[in-house]
This record gives sequence, C-alpha cells and structure tokens, in this order.
Amino acid sequence: MSKSEATHLDRKGTPAWGALTGRLLGLFLGIAPLLVFMSVFFFWPLWNVLWTSFLGNEGEFTLGNYVLVFQEPYLSAFKNSIGLGLISAVTSSIPGAILAYLIESRGSERLRRLIASVSSVLANTGGIPLAFMFIAAFGMEGSATMFLKLLGWNIYAGDFTLFSFTGIVFVYTYFQIPMMVIVFSPAIHGIRNEWQEAARNLGATRFQFWRNVGLPLIFPSFIAAFLLLFASAFSAFATARAMSSGTIALVPLMIGNLVDGNVIVDSFNLGKALAMGMVIVSALAMIPYLIIQRRAARWQS
Amino acid sequence: MRRLRLASLPMYIAVGISAIYVLLPLLSAGEFSLRQPATHDYGFKHYIWFLELPDFAHYLLLSLGLALGAAAILLILLVPTAIWLNLGGQKLRGLVEFLTLLPLVIPVVALAIGAQTSLPEFAQTNEFILSFMYAILAMPYAYRTLDTGLKAVPLKTITEAARGLGASWIRTIIQVVTPIVRGTVLSALFMTLALSLGEFTLTSLLHWDTFTTWVTTMSQGNILGAIALSVFSLVSVFVLLMLIGLFVKPASNQLSTEEN
Repeated sequence: MSKSEATHLDRKGTPAWGALTGRLLGLFLGIAPLLVFMSVFFFWPLWNVLWTSFLGNEGEFTLGNYVLVFQEPYLSAFKNSIGLGLISAVTSSIPGAILAYLIESRGSERLRRLIASVSSVLANTGGIPLAFMFIAAFGMEGSATMFLKLLGWNIYAGDFTLFSFTGIVFVYTYFQIPMMVIVFSPAIHGIRNEWQEAARNLGATRFQFWRNVGLPLIFPSFIAAFLLLFASAFSAFATARAMSSGTIALVPLMIGNLVDGNVIVDSFNLGKALAMGMVIVSALAMIPYLIIQRRAARWQS
Repeated sequence: MRRLRLASLPMYIAVGISAIYVLLPLLSAGEFSLRQPATHDYGFKHYIWFLELPDFAHYLLLSLGLALGAAAILLILLVPTAIWLNLGGQKLRGLVEFLTLLPLVIPVVALAIGAQTSLPEFAQTNEFILSFMYAILAMPYAYRTLDTGLKAVPLKTITEAARGLGASWIRTIIQVVTPIVRGTVLSALFMTLALSLGEFTLTSLLHWDTFTTWVTTMSQGNILGAIALSVFSLVSVFVLLMLIGLFVKPASNQLSTEEN
C-alpha cells in the first residue's frame, strides 16, 4: 500500500515531461539492453535447439529424434540422471538445512559472512579438480581411506568405489551442501526474532512455535531448495565426466559425447532432442522452485 | 553469557565437522601433490612442473580475462536495471526477475548445444564469446544479489532527499547512489567471478580451452602434477575471492535496514 502511495506522490511532484523522459530512459537503459542480450545469447540458441530437434537428417520435419529418446540406452540414461538428481538432493538438502539453521540462528555476523563467501566458492567447485581432491582423500590410496582403515573401517571392504553411482553422489555433496546453505539461509534468516517473542508472549512453547509457525513458514523454502539441488545434480556435467569416464550412462554425458563427436549416431539431431528432454525435466523442477521463491520473498525481506 | 555459549555448542560442532569435511579432501590432495615417488620424499617438483609449462600463464590469464569480461558485461547490463527497478520501475520488476532467473531453468548442456550450432561465425571464432555466455550463466545469481542488496537500502528515499536538496540526477548517481551500491555490486562481481573461473561445461562443449579445460587435458599425462594443478586452481580461486570478499564488507552495511 505504502509503495503505491509513494509513487502517486512522486508523480504529482514531478512535471509530466520529466516523468515521461524518466520512464523512457528507464526503459531504454533498464530493460532494452537486457532483452537484446538475452535474445542473442540465450533465446536464439535455445530456439535453435528446439526447432532442429524436430528435423531429420535431410532437414525434414520428424518426431523420430524424440522416439529415440524413449528407447535404450537413452531411456535408462534419463532414469539414471533423474535418480542421481533425487538422491543427491536428499543427501545434501538435509545436512545443508541443519547447517544453515545452526549458523543463521546462532552464528555471529562475521561467521555468517565467512560461511556465505566460502559456500559460494565451494558451490562452484567441480570437474577434474574436485575429482582429484576426492581421489586423494577417499580413493583406494587416499589419506582419509588410510586413516579410517587404521580406525578399523575399510571403506573399500564392500563394493564401494568413487567412480560408482554412490561415489558420484558422495562427491556431489561437496558443492551441493554449500549450495543448500546459500539458498536456504535467507528463509531461516526471515524467521524474525520478534515472531518468536510474540509467540512466547502469547504463551506458546518453543516447540509450539516451530510446529505451528516456523516450520510451515520455511517448509516451502526447503522444498524449493530441494528442487534446485535436484536440477543442479541432474544437469551437472563437469564432475560427472571427470568421475564416471563412461561407466554410468547419464544424459549430460551422452549429449557431450554427441557434441564432441565421440559417438556417431544415425540421426544428427538426436543430441538436441536429448537436450530438450533435459530442459523439460529441469523446468518441471525449477518452475515450482521459482514460484515458491517468489512467494517466500514476500515475508523474507 | 554462559547460557549463550552452551546454546551455540551445536553450531560450533556443525561448523567444525563442515570445516573438516571441506578441508580433508583439499589437504589430502595437497599432501599427494608434494609426494615425489622417485626420491621417496616431499617437494615442490610437481608445482615447478606446471609452472614451467609454456601454456600455464597463457590459460591462467585467459581465464581471468574472460571472467572479468563476464563480470563487466553483467554489471553494465544489470546495475542500471536493478537501480532503476528499485527507484520506481516497479511494474516491470516481475518481468525482469523472470527473465534473469531463466538461465537457471535451462541445463548448461542444452544451452551449449544450441550455442554451438546457432551462434554467428564471428562469435564462434573469438574466444571472448565465452565471456558473454558466462554472463548468461551467472545472471540469476548476480541479479538476485544486486536486487536483494538494493532492496535492503531505502534507495528511493535517499535519492529523493538528494534531489530535494538540489542535486542533479548525475550528481545524485555519482555521489549518492554509487557509494551506497558499491558493496552490493562487489558481491555480484564476486558471484560472477566464482562461476566463470570454474566454468567447464560450456567451454568444453564449445571446444575452447581455458584454464579449467587445460587442467583436464594436462591431467591425462601426469597424475601427481594434475593433483598439484587442481590444488593450485582451487586455492588460488579461494584466495582471490576471499580478497574480494574483504572489500565487500564496508559500504553495504551502513545503511542496511536489517537489525544485525
């Protein structure tokens, strides 16, 4: 309410021509460059993926590429990628949420800042450097492996390897947990101390506050963060490539092989249909994420 | 005081475990990278190995250049937009938020396959195309950082006050708005650099070589050398971003409406 009032007053206060040039200038500087930039480097490439995914080798219209997506080995690749996304989201969102809660509710300003910047660096690690770090620590000859063996726990006693599905999920936690901390912290930060105090003054216990006020407020944000982690693990490419070296069929790796020409298939545009398949899965997770985030932003700021 | 400390205990335990979890792989890799199997001792042989490679400096500088390019592009695009939206362009806020978040929805692999086939010839032959693509990838994070930072400041009231006291628009922007947004802008810069320096997917699928893809190529020949390179690249990104982080602190907090 107060915002619209303010603009109303503002409009009255400035001469009409000033408001008009201001608005044109705003449009010109504010949004036009963004639209042009995104059209060239984002929408145009994606539009190309979309329409060429419907083209056959002779440039004729076909649904053949999409029919292939639902056949082996691509169907299992999609199943693997979706499974990886879900399991990685589960294993990272819970510790991430607990960490975010503890730091946001009890950490000093300085610690919160430190965690925030460390997290944004860690959330961007991946690929070969990350793979090598984990091999050095948890590989067959790794330091942590040796140390745990001394304590009597041989992690290689079973059929565990870093290059398996479980191994990849484990390595992904290194950037997924920090990502969770980044995305989830604002939700916890938004639970105001005043609300807790108000609840307590009205006679609620700490447990009652969390059950009736706190958790219902942050639960949507948790789901949103979960979906983001899912999409992130589902489409991760660099680390998967460094870790699996072709042992596990994942969609991003298959697309990568097609783009690099490592694998030759009969239909040229199959990679684009696979990419569109990824866009659809990712959008199914990210659109609810964006909607929840938008609604949560109302009380978080 | 004592009660406070006891309540913070779980937090310190959690932070401690996280610190071990974060440092363990890094320190293990550090230890590996100093091993010299031929002489059974420790030394900097593998670090000297990559420092002496002719391509090392080239790719390092290229990656830094591309990351700075991406940051410059994003800031030029987004800072005026974010300021304008926070000064009154409320009607288009939803549209801009939607647009800037879209790159998050699209898997990078999908964008890469599109860029590979559709970008014009001149863009395909100049590696600075990567700066533009990195800017797209970093946009959701950078915009969100800018917008949250600016929302925390009563920018409209302050500029109106400056205008009311007779300052011109230009002067308002240079002397009033710029110092207020500096911290927020640096945070956005930080996000963009962190993402760009580590970017691998787009770079490799568009068949360019930057520091990250070069490390991957080099790793095939010399495993211990590659571990040394990995440690170097992680630690240097950490140090660089921590240095920027030191500068992020000052301006943004003074006018923050939040209580601590």
